[in-house]
Amino acid sequence: MKRFRATLLIVPTAALIFFFVILPYVTVLLMSFRAPADGQPYGQGFSLEGYQQFFSQPYYALSLPSSLALGMATTFVCLVLGYPIALHIATASRRWRGLLYGIVLSPLLVGIVVRSYGWTILLGNSGVINSSLRNLGLIDRPLPLMYNNFGVILALAHVFLPFMVLPLLSSLQSIDPAIAQAARSLGARRFTIFRRVTFPVSMPGVQAGCILVFVLAISSYVTPSLVGGMRVKTTTLLVIDALIDQYQWPFGSAMALILAVTAGIVVLIFARLTRMKWT
Amino acid sequence: MTEVSLRSLQKFYGKTAALKAISLDVNHGEFVSLLGPSGCGKSTTLKCIAGFEDITDGRICFDNKDISRKLPEDRDIGMVFQSYALFPHMTVTQNLAFGLEMRHVPKAEIAQRVARAMEMVQLTPYADRYPKKLSGGQQQRVALARALVIEPAILLLDEPLANLDAKLRDEMRGFIRDLQKRVGITTIYVTHDQNEAMTMSDRVVVMFDGEIAQAATPEDVYNRPASERVARFVGNANILDLPIARTDAQGTTVTLPGGATLQITRPAPSGQSRLRVMARPEQITLTSADLGQLPGRIEKRYFSGGHVEYSVATDCGPLFVTGPTTQHFAEGDSVGLCFDPARLWPLPDAESAQ
Amino acid sequence: MRIATPLLALFRTLVYVFLLAPIVVVVLASLNAGNFLTFPPQGLSLRWFWTFLNNDIFLNAIAYSATLAACATAVSLVLGTMASLYFTRHAGKHAEAVRIAVLLPLILPEILTAIALLFFFYEIGVGTEHKIALFTGHVLMTLPFIFLNVNTSLQGRDDSIELAARTLGASRYTAFRRVTLPLIAPGLSTGAVFAFIISFDTFGISFILKGTGSAPLPIQLFDYLRFNFTPEAAAVSTVSILMTLVLVVAADLLFGRRD
Repeated sequence: MKRFRATLLIVPTAALIFFFVILPYVTVLLMSFRAPADGQPYGQGFSLEGYQQFFSQPYYALSLPSSLALGMATTFVCLVLGYPIALHIATASRRWRGLLYGIVLSPLLVGIVVRSYGWTILLGNSGVINSSLRNLGLIDRPLPLMYNNFGVILALAHVFLPFMVLPLLSSLQSIDPAIAQAARSLGARRFTIFRRVTFPVSMPGVQAGCILVFVLAISSYVTPSLVGGMRVKTTTLLVIDALIDQYQWPFGSAMALILAVTAGIVVLIFARLTRMKWT
Repeated sequence: MTEVSLRSLQKFYGKTAALKAISLDVNHGEFVSLLGPSGCGKSTTLKCIAGFEDITDGRICFDNKDISRKLPEDRDIGMVFQSYALFPHMTVTQNLAFGLEMRHVPKAEIAQRVARAMEMVQLTPYADRYPKKLSGGQQQRVALARALVIEPAILLLDEPLANLDAKLRDEMRGFIRDLQKRVGITTIYVTHDQNEAMTMSDRVVVMFDGEIAQAATPEDVYNRPASERVARFVGNANILDLPIARTDAQGTTVTLPGGATLQITRPAPSGQSRLRVMARPEQITLTSADLGQLPGRIEKRYFSGGHVEYSVATDCGPLFVTGPTTQHFAEGDSVGLCFDPARLWPLPDAESAQ
Repeated sequence: MRIATPLLALFRTLVYVFLLAPIVVVVLASLNAGNFLTFPPQGLSLRWFWTFLNNDIFLNAIAYSATLAACATAVSLVLGTMASLYFTRHAGKHAEAVRIAVLLPLILPEILTAIALLFFFYEIGVGTEHKIALFTGHVLMTLPFIFLNVNTSLQGRDDSIELAARTLGASRYTAFRRVTLPLIAPGLSTGAVFAFIISFDTFGISFILKGTGSAPLPIQLFDYLRFNFTPEAAAVSTVSILMTLVLVVAADLLFGRRD
C-alpha cells in the first residue's frame, strides 16, 4: 500500500516523459524513413531517400563537418575563457563570489534572442566595435566581424559560457582544499600544483562542461541565424529550413538524426580520450 | 638538540588573538602532542609551523634557523591531514612519488624509496590502486607514507585519526607511534582526544584560548596538572576544597569534613587558609562506612566492564570513584572513602576554577 | 609567476566584460534617439519605449509569454515536486534512471525535442493549432528546473521528519503541509523563478510549436530582427531584461536565504 502510494508520485512525470519525449523521438526516427511527397510533409510508405539526399548533395553533406568544427571551436573558446573564471570564483571571498556568480549567470537570465541581438549590435558593420575603430581612425573599411564563423563562434561562446563555468565550478569547489596544501607541503609550487593536481582533479568538470557546450552549440539555431546571417550554414539551420520552410519532414528528420548520431560519436570519442580511471 | 622552536609566536585574525605569544621547544626525535578543545589554537599552531598561516609576531626556528618567512614548500616538512588529502587522480605509487619528483630525485631512486615506504606501511599489494578504492585505514597509511617518504626534518599530523572508527583508531595509534620511533623523526601531533595524546606522546602540550596551559610528560599532565582546568580537561578529576590545619617541614595538613586529616607531602602554595587538592577517581578507595576517612553514600553505580564507576555523595560534594569489579557496592549503600595522601595533588592557586 | 598573475587578472576582467557586454549594449541601444542602431548614438531618448508601448504585437507577445510561463510553471511545480519526492525518498536503486528520465528535456537538444513533439502531435491528429503542443513543450522545458531545485532542498533528509510529525498526531496531509512544504519552500521558489524565466525566454520549442496566430515574445522578436534594425527591438529586449531582473530580485528578497 505504501509502495503503491509512493509510486503514484512519479506516475504523472513518467507518463509525461514517455508520451512527450520518448514516443516523439521514436516518431522522428520513423519519420526519417518515410517517403517524401509534394505538397504535404510526407507520403505513403517507407524509403531511404532522406539519407541519400543528404549524403549525395555536398551542400548538405559538407555542412556536417563544418558544424562539428564550429561546435568544437566554441567548446574550446568556452574552456579557455571559462576555466580562469571558474577558478577565480572558486577561490574568491564570500562577498565577491555572489557578484561574480551573478555575472556568469547573467547571460542565462536574458533570452537567447536578446543575447544574439546584442552581438549583432556589437559586431555589425556599423556596430559598436567597427564604428569605434573607424572613429579612432584605425580602420577604413569595417572589419568582417559578423556574418562569418568568427562572429558566430564568439556569440556562441558567450551564450554557452555559463554551461562551461558551472560544471567547472562545482568540480573545483568539491576539491578538498587540503589537497593543494598537501602538494605544497611536499614541495610543489603554484604552477606545478595547478598542472599536476588542481587541473587533473577538475577533469570531471572539464569533461562535463565540454560535452554540454558542444551539444548545445551544434544544435543552436538562433545565434547562427542572427549573427551568421545567411552565410554560415550549420546542419541545424538546414534541418529547420527543410522542416519548416520546405515541408520536407523525412529529409529534415534524416538530417537531424545524422547530426545527432555524429555528435554522439564525437562525444563518445572525447569521453574516451579524457577517461579518468580514478573516479 | 632542539629541532623545532617556537618563540613568542603570535597569530591574530583581525583583532582576535588566536595565539598569544606561544613558546615551545621540541627536541630531536621527540613526539609532542598539542591537546586542547576546539578553538584553543592547536591547529593554528600546526598551520603556522607548516607555513599555511602567516604569523603575526614571533619566530619559528627549525634547527636554530629562522624559517618564519619561508614558503611551505621550502620548509622540509611532512604533513598528514585530517582528510588525508590524497591526490584522487594518482595511484598509491604516484601519490608517494610526488614529493620526491618535486625534489628532482632520480627516477630509479624514486622507485626504490617509494617501494621501501610502501613496505613500511604494509601497502605493497595496493601499489596501483586509486585512493577511492582504499579503506579509511589504508588511506591513512598512504598519507603517512607520502609524508615520510621525502624524509622530512619534521612530521606534522593534524588530527589524523579523527575520521576512523574506534577499533581502527586504536590500531593506528600504535602503528603511528611504532613507526615514529623506528624512523626517529621529530613529530608534532594535533588532537582533541586526550587518550591519543596520552598514549602516543613523549610530551603533551595542553592548550586553552591560544595559550599553553602545560607542557609536560603524559604522567605529569595527568598526575600533576598545572591548573584545575588542565586537571578537568585531562581525565576525570575530583577537586576537594579543604581547610589547612597546619603547614610545617613535613608538608601541609588539611582537614576533611568529619575530622580526619591528610598530610599532603607535595609542595603547596603558601599563605592560604584553604587548599584545593585533586584526586583522580582511581586514587580513591571505597571501604565499609566505619573505616574510611570521609563518609559517603553511593548515588549511582555504572558497570563498565573492566571496573565499576561510582558517583558518591559526600560532604565535599559528589565525588567520582572507580573500583574493581570484585568489590560490590549498591546504590544507596553507605561507604567510607580513603585517600592516599602521597598521590593527592595540590592545585596552584594562580588560576582559579573557570 | 610575477608577470603571469596580473596578466591572468586582466584576462579574467576581459572575460567578465565579455559576459556583460552584449546585455549592456542592448540596454544602451534602446535609449538611442536615432532611427537606426548607430554608434555612437544620436542622443538619448525614450522614444523607442513609447513606440513599443503603442505596438500591440509586442505587448500581446509579452502578455502571451507571461501567461504561458505562469501556466507551465504551475504545472511543473506540482509534477516536479512529486517527482522529486519520489526520487529522493522512494526511488531506491532506480534513482539514477528516474533522474536521467526527468532531466531528459534538459539533456536533449531543445530544437530536436521541439521537432519530435511537432511530428508527434501531428501524427496523433492534434497538430499545433491547439496550444496544447506548445504548452506541453514548455512544461517539459521547465520541469527539470523544479525537480533539481526541490531535490537540493530534500537531499540528505529522509522521510523520518514526516514520520515524526505523524507520531505526534498529524495526518498525512497535515504532515506534508506543516513539515515538508516549509522545508522545500526555498527550492520551490527558486525553481519557480528559474522555470518562469526559462519558459519566458525559450526559443526552440516556441519557434517550432507556435502554430499560427499570436506567438511568444522571443519568436516575435526574432521575426522582427530578421528584417528590421530600429532600436525598438532593443527597447523590447530591455523591458524583457528588466522583467527578469525584477523577478529575480523580488524572489531573492522574498525567499532568499538570510544567513
